[in-house]
Amino acid sequence: MHGRVKVRTTEEERERKKKEQALKVRAYRAAMGRIQKKREAGELDNEMLSLTVQILLRNPDVSTLWNIRRECVLEKLSKLKEGEATYETPTEEKSEEEKQTEASEKKTLPEDNAHSVFTHELDLTEQCLMVNPKSYNAWHHRCWTLEQNPQADWQREVQLCNKYLKFDERNFHTWDYRRYVTGKAMVPAVQELDFCTEKIKVNFSNYSSWHHRSLLLPGLYPNQQKDRPMSEEKLQKELEMVLTAAFTDPNDSSAWFYQRWLLGSGAQLDRAPRIAAFRLDSHGAVLALDKPYPDIKQLRTELIGGEETILLESWLPVDKLGTSWKCQQNFDYQRNSAYSFRLSDQNVNLSPMSGSENGAYYFAPPHGTASCSKDLLAELQTQLQSCLDLLEFEPDSKWTLLTSALLMRAIDFSANHETSLLNLAKLEKVDSLREGYYKDLAARWTMESELDKWPQTSGFPKSFDIADKVLLESLPYGQYLVIADEISIPNKLKEKLGDSVPKTFADLKLLS
Amino acid sequence: MDFTTFVKPSNGGGSGGGDANDGGQKLQFWKHVEYIENHGKQEDDYEYCMTEFLRMSGIYWGTTALDIMGQLERLERKSIIEFVKRCQCPTTGGFAPCEGHDPHLLYTLSAIQILCTYDALEEIDREAVVRFVVGLQQPDGSFFGDKWGEVDTRFSFCAVASLTLLGRMEQTIDVEKAVKFVLSCCNQTDGGFGSKPGAESHAGLIYCCVGFFSLTQRLHLLDVDKLGWWLCERQLPSGGLNGRPEKLPDVCYSWWVLASLTIMGRLHWISSEKLQQFILSCQDAETGGFSDRTGNMPDIFHTLFGIGGLSLLGHSGLKAINPTLCMPQYIIDRLGIKPQRLPRP
Repeated sequence: MHGRVKVRTTEEERERKKKEQALKVRAYRAAMGRIQKKREAGELDNEMLSLTVQILLRNPDVSTLWNIRRECVLEKLSKLKEGEATYETPTEEKSEEEKQTEASEKKTLPEDNAHSVFTHELDLTEQCLMVNPKSYNAWHHRCWTLEQNPQADWQREVQLCNKYLKFDERNFHTWDYRRYVTGKAMVPAVQELDFCTEKIKVNFSNYSSWHHRSLLLPGLYPNQQKDRPMSEEKLQKELEMVLTAAFTDPNDSSAWFYQRWLLGSGAQLDRAPRIAAFRLDSHGAVLALDKPYPDIKQLRTELIGGEETILLESWLPVDKLGTSWKCQQNFDYQRNSAYSFRLSDQNVNLSPMSGSENGAYYFAPPHGTASCSKDLLAELQTQLQSCLDLLEFEPDSKWTLLTSALLMRAIDFSANHETSLLNLAKLEKVDSLREGYYKDLAARWTMESELDKWPQTSGFPKSFDIADKVLLESLPYGQYLVIADEISIPNKLKEKLGDSVPKTFADLKLLS
Repeated sequence: MDFTTFVKPSNGGGSGGGDANDGGQKLQFWKHVEYIENHGKQEDDYEYCMTEFLRMSGIYWGTTALDIMGQLERLERKSIIEFVKRCQCPTTGGFAPCEGHDPHLLYTLSAIQILCTYDALEEIDREAVVRFVVGLQQPDGSFFGDKWGEVDTRFSFCAVASLTLLGRMEQTIDVEKAVKFVLSCCNQTDGGFGSKPGAESHAGLIYCCVGFFSLTQRLHLLDVDKLGWWLCERQLPSGGLNGRPEKLPDVCYSWWVLASLTIMGRLHWISSEKLQQFILSCQDAETGGFSDRTGNMPDIFHTLFGIGGLSLLGHSGLKAINPTLCMPQYIIDRLGIKPQRLPRP
């Protein structure tokens, strides 16, 4: 039960209400009793239909009653099929005009024809949805009814959604239904996108509409490189639109979520893992993936050196998440040969370890840079400037602080690293409910930056040193360090991590 | 059948529990016990009668809340088990919410949960339940709620939760396909999940999907950073959590978000202290029970999620609750089930 305010009532009122409710209970019980008796007797007739209406109009969540109605409908339809179907609507295509005449004649048609059976159900669900627009059962019964009818008017259903979304533009049932019926009515995606734009123009604080939009754009304006959610040209326009919306009321979150999605990589959840780091010597190999993948056996891993291709098998997990792995297989490692490593369809060249060290490695830092046209870059810079201008007036504006940090990183993540961290530090204070989130995000950004710089340090890849990063609250991307021999992290963090301090190549050698 | 016969004569007061004060409002422990115990004692109560279509879930909410409070013995074990048994459909094997109603996955899970609480699974035909659940899986991996064809990620959760509790996840449903379907309901924008592919993310359905991945040991498939951020953004200045952006806070959404964050190892992304204050502010100090928001009418559904939320937050005097199955942890341990949980980063 939601949103029912507790109100003080007088004794008299309470009594009156009690009596009223007692009557309702009696009526409910009587109707339910009768319905159950009739069902047992197989009487799926008009009386049954009217009995269920009485209850459903008050309480559309009684799913069994909808089931009974469906039984009645199926019974009627099968009787009609058996030959009593003299009034059944013809199956050929009708013009709009004919349909209208038919609709006006509807009242004169006898009760039992397929068209009126369907209409009856549709009308009832519409009435029930007026009472409770969030009734799963009523929505489902409507879908079911339409699915039974080969001549369902899907266009009318789209109109109905337009109407319902005017009453409540956030009702997710209506939006779900809209996606279903626009599919059936074959409404072009461009037309749906226009509908979203109109909805957002009326009220930008409409997460549902932004969501609907996010489903349409990647298909309509695909990104060829697949490193952004949509084409750069369209992305630029969307960024413009969403920032205008967000600035209308910077405290409303709806548009900011959309903005963050636009700035992201558009990566699909089910994409295959990629090689983050790899190292081998004569006694074995370690592998880090950029995302967890516990079922590594499903992926083919091969070492290619000179003329030889060696299948690497029996990987053992190094961490609990399935991001780093070791393989204790002996190789005849040849210092003078060039090696490459293949994971499914990704092939990377290995670099030999420096000095007298035996072995080879590969490393790709986690923060990839997406392609960025001149125009898109200019747009990002304009947006950042607008955010900075707003922060002049409202220095504590949470969403502006976060978004400007995201924009800075989208423009040049390493040059703006320190400044973006300052924004997070500020956010920890102005949005203290989510202090823990900002701390972890700062750790992510710090590790992304440190891992990006790592290949340029003298100890790479044998040592990784961030002992001076004393503010680090967690150690994301730990699997990338599996190729190092030695890692130095702040003592406090080391204590906090305990057993989950990432294992290194040296550690694993000792264990083998 | 009514709740009346499930209630033992009140013995007043009693031992156990504790009026713990964790800052701000106190947990009205005994008021809540009384509220649940009395729920449905008056069989002609209007609300009670009008909610018979979800009675099985109602009993699950009540027994679980009482068990978390260490007061399960206040309800009559035997009559509850008898009731559950009478609701198993002899033809399909599924459970109806109460006699005279049709079986459905929603009430099948509630029935199994109640029987697990009472350690009484052997009282029913378990194979019939397995057949019911398996029969509802569709070629695309999704689940119907019943034979009438509604598809929803809630039903995917109900299916795997029921089978897990029955210890029958192996060699029954097609888990890979089930996973694929739930994954197809993930939204790129926020990493969240809706009821079907393309549906807007919603905290209740996110709980079902995160729970689904926890039970199928596939939490690695989630985009934890993206989804965790969206979830922690549900916390409002009152400390309560909403189910979608720009909506009002609610005790039940608080549970769904809180449980999801806990499963994902990201509980520290919200303020536990403020959430606890919000949940406690939704107690009805007169009648007992929790409402959706401060000052509203209490009900049994929000009472479980209020108590459950407080338990997850570590409130004293309450038994630990399992975030995936929303049941006391000791029962999950007794069954030897280990729903997956991600470590804190």
